[in-house]
Amino acid sequence: MSGVIDVSGKYPEKLTFLQRLYIPEILRGMSVTIRHLIRNLANMKGMPTILYPEVRRNYSGRFRGKHILKTREDGTLKCVACYMCQQACPAECITIVAGEHPKIAYEKYPVVFDIDMMRCVFCGFCVDACPKDAIWMTRNYEMAFFTREDAVYSIDRLRESPEEIAKHGYGYRPYYPGDGTTPPADAALLPVVPGSGEREQLRENRVPLPDRDPGPGPLNAPSQAERPFSA
Amino acid sequence: MSSGVVETATLSPAAEKLAERIESSPVAGRARVVDLDIPTIEVGPGNWVALARFLRDDPGCQYDLFLDLCGVDNLRRRGADRASRFEAVIHLHSLSRNEHARVRVVLPDDEKPSLPSVESVWPAADWFEREAYDLYGFDFPGHPNLHRILCHDAFVGHALRKDYAPGQRWFYAEEDLRVPEWAKDTEEKAGNFETQTISIGPSHPATHGIIHLIARLDGEKIVRAETIIGYLHRCFEKMAEKHHWNQVIPYTDRLNYVSAMNNGVGYVRTVEKMLGIEIPDRGQLVRTILSEFSRIMDHCVCIGANLVDIGALTNFVYLYQNRENIYDLLEACCGARLTVSYVRVGGLAIDVPDDFVPRCRKLLETIPALLDDIEKLVNNNRIVRNRLAGTGIVTREQAVAWGLTGPMLRASGVAYDVRRARPYDFYDKFDWDIPIARDGDNFARYLVRMEEMRQSLKIIRQALEILPAKGPVSSDDWHVVLPPKDAVYHDMESLIYHFKLVMEGIRVPAGERYEWIEAGNGELGFYAVSDGRGGPYRLKVRPPCFAAMAAFEKMVVGGTVSDAVATLGTLNVIAGELDR
Repeated sequence: MSGVIDVSGKYPEKLTFLQRLYIPEILRGMSVTIRHLIRNLANMKGMPTILYPEVRRNYSGRFRGKHILKTREDGTLKCVACYMCQQACPAECITIVAGEHPKIAYEKYPVVFDIDMMRCVFCGFCVDACPKDAIWMTRNYEMAFFTREDAVYSIDRLRESPEEIAKHGYGYRPYYPGDGTTPPADAALLPVVPGSGEREQLRENRVPLPDRDPGPGPLNAPSQAERPFSA
Repeated sequence: MSSGVVETATLSPAAEKLAERIESSPVAGRARVVDLDIPTIEVGPGNWVALARFLRDDPGCQYDLFLDLCGVDNLRRRGADRASRFEAVIHLHSLSRNEHARVRVVLPDDEKPSLPSVESVWPAADWFEREAYDLYGFDFPGHPNLHRILCHDAFVGHALRKDYAPGQRWFYAEEDLRVPEWAKDTEEKAGNFETQTISIGPSHPATHGIIHLIARLDGEKIVRAETIIGYLHRCFEKMAEKHHWNQVIPYTDRLNYVSAMNNGVGYVRTVEKMLGIEIPDRGQLVRTILSEFSRIMDHCVCIGANLVDIGALTNFVYLYQNRENIYDLLEACCGARLTVSYVRVGGLAIDVPDDFVPRCRKLLETIPALLDDIEKLVNNNRIVRNRLAGTGIVTREQAVAWGLTGPMLRASGVAYDVRRARPYDFYDKFDWDIPIARDGDNFARYLVRMEEMRQSLKIIRQALEILPAKGPVSSDDWHVVLPPKDAVYHDMESLIYHFKLVMEGIRVPAGERYEWIEAGNGELGFYAVSDGRGGPYRLKVRPPCFAAMAAFEKMVVGGTVSDAVATLGTLNVIAGELDR
């Protein structure tokens, strides 16, 4: 804590004769700008401006750019279509349609995983929300499109590719090298023979869960009763 | 009002004192004091003006600074015992007693509830009442200019009412443009000459955003003006009601996008206070450091753009160099330059990088050097002095009456700074000064902002000294903060916490809270109402530049058009925050 300072006393209200002449002040100002000019000429690399697009800014490993969907060792997507990123997205730009994976160990997979890059605000909430280490971001920030359809990125453009990572590098992600986090173990690669009845059997044996209190319900559910107000 | 009795049984000392004062007021017995986060007075619309006059004039109250007026629609509010559907909530501050108070005007159940305008008591209420009229359909008898303000004039319905379907769109055509009545009258004469009405904006280089000024000129002098805003309105508050508490954070970035960090900090502080959780020191100090850097950016942009408007281009480049360097720091911390989304309820999204302190120290060296250059270029320059000194004058009384806060108020000689008036986080531990100026003109505002940047650097320097080298930046309450990823991947219990938080949001206890911080432009307040669900039931922003812009049309009268341009620059109106 400290006091209050009056800054209007710092500069005299009236300018001196020399200052009112304007020329000396102009020269003083020129000395500042010329000093900047000489400093920049002497140290071209240290100049604050960047000659984009020939030179690109070096972003940190936390940069929030285009998303990628991570893959398992066998090339399938790590995503299990749990809808958590879709729910966490404040811009509502993620659309997921889930399907049953032939491999029981994988259970679900996204048949459709679309990100509308025109809606996306690049906040990184999807990365925070993912419990399966399936969605990361890259440092790719150059996504120009000619049509609205072009702006909707589907799985084929979101799937991680070594070329893309080599070019842009990883950006915002759930954990960083050296922070002690172990990624989730890959699901066991269990073979399932189609038509063997294994999946059907599992479903039959499942014990139904008891009813529970549904709680206050999600935001803006249509079931919310309007409070009656007497006139 | 159901009970006309003043409840004094369980009140805090401040509320009890207020209740005693109300007892001796003309509305004694018809107003009730309840103790919430700040003392709250409940009153009916019939007694509102009498109470307002009393609150402003009574020596024991002296609520001279009108901060905010907003509506609340209780239609779908769970669990709250409310007698009526609509209420108007007013926030006031007393500069001499350094206290906030809230007034809740409980409105009768009516399709178009009405409460008398208090524009004559606090001129600052003008635009806030128009906003409540626009978004809630409240009628304010006695208001001089009751028109829509944020939504356009072809809009049907009142957007923030709970029964308004948010998906609706209303087409706006040229003929819907509302021209003020006085501007239509072309007969008005000034002496022997006729006056002329001109439009400045909406898209004008000097408005730095989309703001429309209609001015009547007598020669080069402005004799009357009216500002039309709302071109950047995107209904932040309705969006907040449709999202979880944490999901609002990216939306707050877009309020004052020049210092996005400050908005986020102000918002999450409100939620954290409602939850009653504590943030580790390291997290709080990182927030403070980055908020102060954001304040510097805010002032750099304001001064730089203002000087461009009056013809001094070089300063803009030097000031933006500061901003660029600060953006680099922010990007290294959170991965984005402008819309940072760095804070979370309960802490920060991620710990700062290892080289955070050296990076900050480097900035502490480069910023003052560039500020010195600006002062050499500007302070004694005759053109700058002629354009800024003596123009856009706001006296102390006017500044208070118009509800100005921040550098605007301090340049008029009032040393009100939230960081000092109600120190939050670590501000009471730092040694810094509040810069004030006496003149209240554009040059005074420029000087105050320049000095504030130096004071911010001083605060950052001290914060870096006490910043713990290691430690958590977020609370470990997993009902609020996402558990660490390692635990989510390998531990069922953590995964459940994670799932509940992402899918249902933070369960904030039912209640209401007004929290305010000092943002770049002044007092940034967030009034949040929770009814126990995962998202805000109602969230009102008290944007500091809303009051400043409301005062603009009064400030420019009597000056020239070129003075108006210089004045608009020193208001630092950010359209994202103004229009929300």
